[in-house]
Amino acid sequence: MEPEQLEHTEEAVLTKVIVFQLNEEEFAIDVRRIQSIEKVKSITRIPGSAAAIVGVMNLRGIITPVIEVRTLFQIQGREMDEHTRILVLVREEYEAGLIVDGANDVMDIDLNRMEAPPESSGHRKNEYVDGVIMVDGRLITVLDLDKLITPLIK
Amino acid sequence: MSSVLVVDDAAFMRMMIKDILVKNQFNVVGEAANGQEAVDMYEELKPDLVTMDITMPEKDGITALKEIKSKHGDANIIMCSAMGQQSMVIDAIQAGAKDFIVKPFQADRVMEAIQKVVGVK
Amino acid sequence: MDNKEYLTLFIEESQEHLQAVNTHLLELEKNNGSKDIISEIFRSAHTLKGMAATMGFEDLAHLTHHMENVLDQIRNDQLTVTPAVLDVVFESVDDLEYMINDISSGGSGKKDVQGAASKLEALLAGDKAAETASASNVSPEKHSVIPEYDQYEWAVIQESEEQGYHALCLNVTLDEQTMLKAARVFMVFGVVEKAGEVINCQPAMADLEAEAFENEFTVTLITKEEPENLQAQIAGISEVTDVHVHVVKKETVQTKHEEQSITEEKNQELSPPSNKAEMPQRQTEAVKTVRVNTDRLDKLMNLFEELVIDRGRLEQLSAELKHSELTDTVEHMSRISGDLQTIILTMRMMPVENVFNRFPRMVRSLSKELGKKIELDIVGADTELDRTIIDEIGDPLVHLLRNSLDHGIETPEVRKQAGKPETGTVTLRAYHSGNHVMIEMEDDGAGINKEKVIDIALSKGIIAAEDVEKKTDQDIYGLLFASGFSTAAEVTDISGRGVGLDVVRNTFESLGGIVSVDSEPGKGSIFSIQLPLTLSILDVMLVEAGEEKYAVPISSIVETAIITKDNIFHSHGQRVIDFRGRIIPLLSLHQVFAIPGSQEERSQHSIVVINKGGKIAALMVDHLVGKQDIVLKSLGPFLPDIASISGATILGDGNVALIVDVNTLIA
Repeated sequence: MEPEQLEHTEEAVLTKVIVFQLNEEEFAIDVRRIQSIEKVKSITRIPGSAAAIVGVMNLRGIITPVIEVRTLFQIQGREMDEHTRILVLVREEYEAGLIVDGANDVMDIDLNRMEAPPESSGHRKNEYVDGVIMVDGRLITVLDLDKLITPLIK
Repeated sequence: MSSVLVVDDAAFMRMMIKDILVKNQFNVVGEAANGQEAVDMYEELKPDLVTMDITMPEKDGITALKEIKSKHGDANIIMCSAMGQQSMVIDAIQAGAKDFIVKPFQADRVMEAIQKVVGVK
Repeated sequence: MDNKEYLTLFIEESQEHLQAVNTHLLELEKNNGSKDIISEIFRSAHTLKGMAATMGFEDLAHLTHHMENVLDQIRNDQLTVTPAVLDVVFESVDDLEYMINDISSGGSGKKDVQGAASKLEALLAGDKAAETASASNVSPEKHSVIPEYDQYEWAVIQESEEQGYHALCLNVTLDEQTMLKAARVFMVFGVVEKAGEVINCQPAMADLEAEAFENEFTVTLITKEEPENLQAQIAGISEVTDVHVHVVKKETVQTKHEEQSITEEKNQELSPPSNKAEMPQRQTEAVKTVRVNTDRLDKLMNLFEELVIDRGRLEQLSAELKHSELTDTVEHMSRISGDLQTIILTMRMMPVENVFNRFPRMVRSLSKELGKKIELDIVGADTELDRTIIDEIGDPLVHLLRNSLDHGIETPEVRKQAGKPETGTVTLRAYHSGNHVMIEMEDDGAGINKEKVIDIALSKGIIAAEDVEKKTDQDIYGLLFASGFSTAAEVTDISGRGVGLDVVRNTFESLGGIVSVDSEPGKGSIFSIQLPLTLSILDVMLVEAGEEKYAVPISSIVETAIITKDNIFHSHGQRVIDFRGRIIPLLSLHQVFAIPGSQEERSQHSIVVINKGGKIAALMVDHLVGKQDIVLKSLGPFLPDIASISGATILGDGNVALIVDVNTLIA
């Protein structure tokens, strides 16, 4: 009954992540931090809120703020389309949604193979990044959600 | 090798469960995206085990559970719930679900539940 | 099963008894020495002592024991009630209060009570003092794995044994990370109830359902099932990490009987002295109420709120579909849920007495400290308010009361000179007024010195000199609540401590309340607080501007109207309208919230006339959608303090609408 026949033979620290896209780049977040992935529903604008908070939405009766990650990363915006998704994060103290271009992959990554993020190329903020990793020829940036979200809580 | 039908409206959730199951030598024989599909596929596949999401479009998991149970009293169905769905989980168990697992899924939890249900049989 | 449950109850009840002691002592002071009152105080002290000893709070038990001795002598006419005696008793009540508060905030309840105890002892006539020694020998009880059964349960156990059943006691431990504990409990009970009949579970079923337990619970059942079988079945449930099954046997019954007789003794300690027949029977009153955990009330409220949202959705659907049977059913359901709403809201109501009852004591000690003679008159203590509001208004009211005692009421000499009675009166009044509760605090003191207020406000830059003329007296008095008004010079021990009345105002306003003050020089002042009856369900007018919908609370709407372009005038660059002969400012929702897209040019506009403390303004919107009951929801930690927004709600169509905070729109 013991589930021992893993395909990898070397010692790997496997972490399950959700991979999502922003513009052409791929990012990953630990699966345990995500409650669900939602399609974009109606978002209510909050006048006078921080730029990164695009508004709030009704998520099963809970009013959930929706965060535009692009604004935090200071990268170009893009219109929402049918692939746009909202990743819903859950912590004891808050719930929040992150707008991403698409999220459909779950994969195991080996955190031991993660490398430090490349030097900041100027306009991009690096402090939210845990590291980068190559998986099957794809470069994936692993994000540190707490660093990303906590500064937004007042 | 036990056969499993995975029911969830989110493809990504199905993928996660499937992933866990396959790694543990289960045979995922089918995937359904809503309750109606689940009922139909159960008839067709008669799997040893079903993992059933609760909140789904068209037909929810509890209705599907009841329909399957009414025809197949011996069906092994494990509910997949989110936090805060306590009362629905209780409904489901009353209606004959064997166990439940709570999202976000942890592989060991999922396996514990599944092995207990299949083992108990 | 664990001590925590007892502790909550202990704290709750000791606070009740302490309050009773306080109230009765004050009465005793007024109408010297009624036997009934002394008996009541004695009873409370006695009960306190018993409870404290049971819980192992030795200092508390020690002091109440001394107090009890003094009271006993008073009761038997061996000791006369004098102000000096009462002062000593009040002093020890202060100590008791300190210890109980310490316990309730998680402390050990320890305090050096020797001082207070020896003062009490000194009061004792004759050699009764010698007996004063041994209240604290009872040690706190230890809990065993087998829960305590009551007599009935023991009877059931014994009887079933005679019929060939046995009683099994199950200790079940769930995994620490179990997320839906109640559902797991349900599964365990599913197994247990199939096997036999449950006669006891600890924590109580209700607590298990409410997940008010850590990871362990104990179930006792009468069954023919073998212990091993049951154990295996329960261990087979996911997330159950541990199950112990023991048979509750005769021998255990024997030892339990001994233990039980001990608890019975303790129970006697806890109950009023039964050997004296002077106690009036008051039990009949209490029977009709049940204690309900407030968490469950909150849960009920939350569930009901969900229902209100769905009701809105259904009403909308039935209006669209125009199916007559559907419309009838929905209407019927709306009526029923309206009734349900009233019941649930009433269940959450508590009399303001819960806040007011600590004030007489406070007034007594403060007036002594200040060398003033002050009478506190409480009117309408039975007026009810939502629990949430009750919880919040205590501190600001204390602050206001201290302010009145300190600054309002004059010293006896001054009052005499002014031709007033030496004793000043503060009246605390609560009453219903429409959808609100009014709380008024009126004193017959010196009144507010308008000139002094203006001086301070000018020197602090709170108002500009040229504005002074324009202000009404009420406006001037209202400056007391402006932030930054309180000055170091007037900070006294009683009312100051660096916190100004602005904090008081903020607290009330955050509850949706409105504070105002009026005063007449030489005659006194009156502070009025208008509070909503309940917090979470609001009656609003939904309005639309551009693509967005906003909710304006009906409570702050005077009326809605349609104005034409010719009704709009300009004054100092500000748009105004003539509203029933009054020139009022005209605000545009588009501008207030910077709503994307420009406002259509048209010949007619819908307006909502809003009111805040007598000031009115008009708010221009694109459409009035209609009146609706909504459920107030918080915007959460990401969005505190959004200007002019007090919260949000979910509409019938599932979208979120923001609630306009009218108070901030009117300057």
